Amino acid sequence: MPVVELSYSRLQKLVGKVSKKQISDSLPFLGLDIESEDKDLVRIEYSPNRPDYSTDFGIALGLQGLLGIKTGSVKLKIKKSNNYKISVKPDVSKIRPFVTGIIAKNGKIDDKTIKQLMTMQEDLHFGIGRKRKKSSIGIHDLDKISFPLIYTTTNRNHKFIPLNSETEVPISEILINTDVGKDYGPLLGQSSKVPLILDDDGNTVSFPPIINAAVTIVTTKTKNLFVEVTGINKDDAEDMLSVVATMLQSAGFSLESVNITGSKNSSPKFDSRKLSVNSSLINQTLGLDLKTPKIISCLKKSRLDASSKGNNVVCSVPAYRFDIFGSMDLVEEVALGYGIQNLEPTLTPSQTVGEINPISLKLKSLDKTMIGLGYLEALNSSLTSKRVLYDMTNRDSTKVISVLDSKSQEHTILRDSILPGLLENLSRNIHESYPQKMFETGTIFNIDNPISEKINFSGISAHKDANFTEIKSILQSALNIGFDVQIETKTSTNPTFEKGHCATVLLNNIPIGVIGKIDSKIIENYKIRVPVVGFEISLSDSVLKSLEK
Amino acid sequence: MSQVFHEIEKKIITSLRDTSKQTPASLEKSTQLSPDQIRRGIEWLRLKELAIVNESKSSVISLGKNGIESFEKGLPERRLLNLLKNGPKKLSDLQKELGFVFGPSMGLARKNNWVEASNDQINLKNSPSELPGEKTLKLIGNGKLSKDKVDVDDLSTLLKRPDFIIEDVLKTQEITLSDSAKSIILSDSTGGIDVEAKVPEIFVARTHPLKDTIDEIREIFVTLGFSEILGNMTQSSFWNFDSLFTPQDHPARELQDTFYLDKINAKKIGTPEQIRKVSESHKKNWRYQWDINEARKMVLRTHTTCVTIKHLAEQKPDEARIFSLGRVFRNEKVSYKHLVEFNQIEGVVVGKDANLRNLMGIQREFYKRIGITKIKFWPTFFPYTEPSLQTMVYNEKLGKWIELFGMGIFRPEVTKPLGITKPVLAWGGGIERIAMLKYDLDDVREFYNNNLGWLRSTTKCQ
Repeated sequence: MPVVELSYSRLQKLVGKVSKKQISDSLPFLGLDIESEDKDLVRIEYSPNRPDYSTDFGIALGLQGLLGIKTGSVKLKIKKSNNYKISVKPDVSKIRPFVTGIIAKNGKIDDKTIKQLMTMQEDLHFGIGRKRKKSSIGIHDLDKISFPLIYTTTNRNHKFIPLNSETEVPISEILINTDVGKDYGPLLGQSSKVPLILDDDGNTVSFPPIINAAVTIVTTKTKNLFVEVTGINKDDAEDMLSVVATMLQSAGFSLESVNITGSKNSSPKFDSRKLSVNSSLINQTLGLDLKTPKIISCLKKSRLDASSKGNNVVCSVPAYRFDIFGSMDLVEEVALGYGIQNLEPTLTPSQTVGEINPISLKLKSLDKTMIGLGYLEALNSSLTSKRVLYDMTNRDSTKVISVLDSKSQEHTILRDSILPGLLENLSRNIHESYPQKMFETGTIFNIDNPISEKINFSGISAHKDANFTEIKSILQSALNIGFDVQIETKTSTNPTFEKGHCATVLLNNIPIGVIGKIDSKIIENYKIRVPVVGFEISLSDSVLKSLEK
Repeated sequence: MSQVFHEIEKKIITSLRDTSKQTPASLEKSTQLSPDQIRRGIEWLRLKELAIVNESKSSVISLGKNGIESFEKGLPERRLLNLLKNGPKKLSDLQKELGFVFGPSMGLARKNNWVEASNDQINLKNSPSELPGEKTLKLIGNGKLSKDKVDVDDLSTLLKRPDFIIEDVLKTQEITLSDSAKSIILSDSTGGIDVEAKVPEIFVARTHPLKDTIDEIREIFVTLGFSEILGNMTQSSFWNFDSLFTPQDHPARELQDTFYLDKINAKKIGTPEQIRKVSESHKKNWRYQWDINEARKMVLRTHTTCVTIKHLAEQKPDEARIFSLGRVFRNEKVSYKHLVEFNQIEGVVVGKDANLRNLMGIQREFYKRIGITKIKFWPTFFPYTEPSLQTMVYNEKLGKWIELFGMGIFRPEVTKPLGITKPVLAWGGGIERIAMLKYDLDDVREFYNNNLGWLRSTTKCQ
């Protein structure tokens, strides 16, 4: 989840008459987790579905609502203007077809505001922009740009001075030499043409979604802003712009429209949507009995406008709240406005009889039997390594199931056997006193349309007198007492076990596993200094058979 | 201090009072006890901290087969020199007399300039009075000797030769009485057994501590009226993500968070209707081109919710209380607080009257039963529930609120496409987190280390 750093004193200024404590007490009830606090600074985790909480302006709006200082929807006041036009050339339609924009004037931009804008931009890029793929934002100094603009394409040797540079650089070099070029260049594909925003003097304004021109950089001297959003989906680009516009308006800017024409593009509307919700759905879902006026006041605290219409509450959802899909989202907004802390938990008596799954029951009874036989239960990961599963134990690794890009070398493949993990456990415990007797039941995986999962049962015993007879007695008793079945053992060979001390375990003449003395070479591999005997059988193929589907 | 002594102990104490610092052998002699009785007696007294046992190791050397032969006949090179005492000899004669030791001894003699060869004749140049190794050979003779009694350099020449020296490590014990033993009045001994003595530790066989917590949680769910369902750990992305309204380009679905199985795709992921309706919900609400191939990718389940939703989609119950418990996977760097594989519990209540306050009530009851009473609820966000809450529980040890379970009501965007018509309350969370609180662990990896020291000693939690 994204994190934003805020200052209590700045929040206090933005929210109105509140104490620091009121703010810190209220933040969690907006769905914001306080990650850490240090005097005036507070780091807050917000949900990716609420990008408006990426700045203190957005959080202040939320707090005002929750604390009852200002309620109801924030309306975007956009002055219609004919001074700002972007015309879109048809050639962008294959690469990054949509552009939209807004003008923000006469705001005060201090260092903190710039920092907040940049964080918001980054978070929007990452979250709803899907790492700039779906949409990306450029924020510019309006006074350095001469309108109208064109959104067009250029070839890769087009030169301009990009942000953080002093000389003209061809686009092909920006893509190779800068971090943003390397990170986002691939979004443009192999095409020889790339998107570009040019102003009326032919100057480059932006090379989306990679980098802006240096000349339009926003500083504390900037008074007026031009914000553009480009993307591959018109709605996404407008959603993103609506968040920025709302934040800029809260930051004190007055907004003016940008007229967009050409190639499927048109000027954005930023209208609020009407969405209605039945009050009985709200009450039924929350377990409350709220009258319509109360529901409306709750919604207003969540900064939405609402009015009643029969049994329904009609809500007007501002453009920047695109996380609201349907009526259930409004139910949540009512809950937040009501205050989660005001919802009293209730316990309705259960009308159902609970039961443990029969397989879990069987396995539990097997656990008990093994403990009675003096075996300690081990738990190992089902994701393990080739070293433990195959290399150390001499097993065939041709049907290995790997995961992609594991961050841990010790967890790269799914186990098809439990015994190697137990041997690894012995190896890690050679300094502990013997005898060491352990067992494990767990899931093993095999490739089979596409994957079969079975439950295996394995046990090992390690001490200076460990022998075949002992381990066969254990397995025989466990299955006999645990499941009332009799096993037989038939001479066989297995790469993990010592020749002449190894057998296939049969149940009703069907092989279900292997038992024997672990090969001395393998014992050596694991640096174990005493003989080890063990077994592994499939419970899915024997005692659980009738219980599994 | 216990005043109970066995006859054996009494005899040993008495003897040690007469002569301090004894070996087991000297004690055998003075007490007339058998070696086994002495061994046991010393061990008892040691456990009672009445006797102090100093163990020391020493090396004892004796002569091997070749060593004995050389002790009797002289070193091969000495024999060579002796043969030349009375004038030069033919090479072939020497060879005959010395046999197979001729080669090496001749080599040694020439290297050290003791002899010289001219034509077929070997002449003695000088014969040292003592050759390297001779002194040690004589010293050891047919007996045994402590290694530190001989000259290390001289011995080393013999150690290089095969079968000359046999080295044994001898453990010797030196027993003395502790101060407390000195004041014991042996006649006070009652003749019973020492009930206060330390006894050997017996290691218990047990279920794994984490499994105990898992079982406990399972039982609590059952007592709350829930029935357990099981499901696979490997799942298609369809059930793990798509059916739960997670868009296909959602960051949580990326390789860096989720384990995808290499080159393994599911052929059948759901019924045609399920696939169609789920894809429609995605297209309509998330506005993107839904791709069935993305849904076919097999993953290690990132939550047990996929098991639950599949069950609900198949059964479409009007009322139900079910839970699912098992391993889930996250592609994270393993650390003291992160595992790639851990256990999760997840429960759902289906019913036309199921509401958020019920959900909170069940949570409160659940925590009460595992011994947590200080809880509160905060709003949060999950892609597939609306409204969504998280439980915060107060950890007395850390002195702060920590996040435990997540919960919410399944979104209509999730339930409707799968034909589930009644509200579904759902909640869940990691079990290791609860187990860590119970066992007072700071490092979650301990659960899967299978460290016998910990498994054998950690106390069962109630």
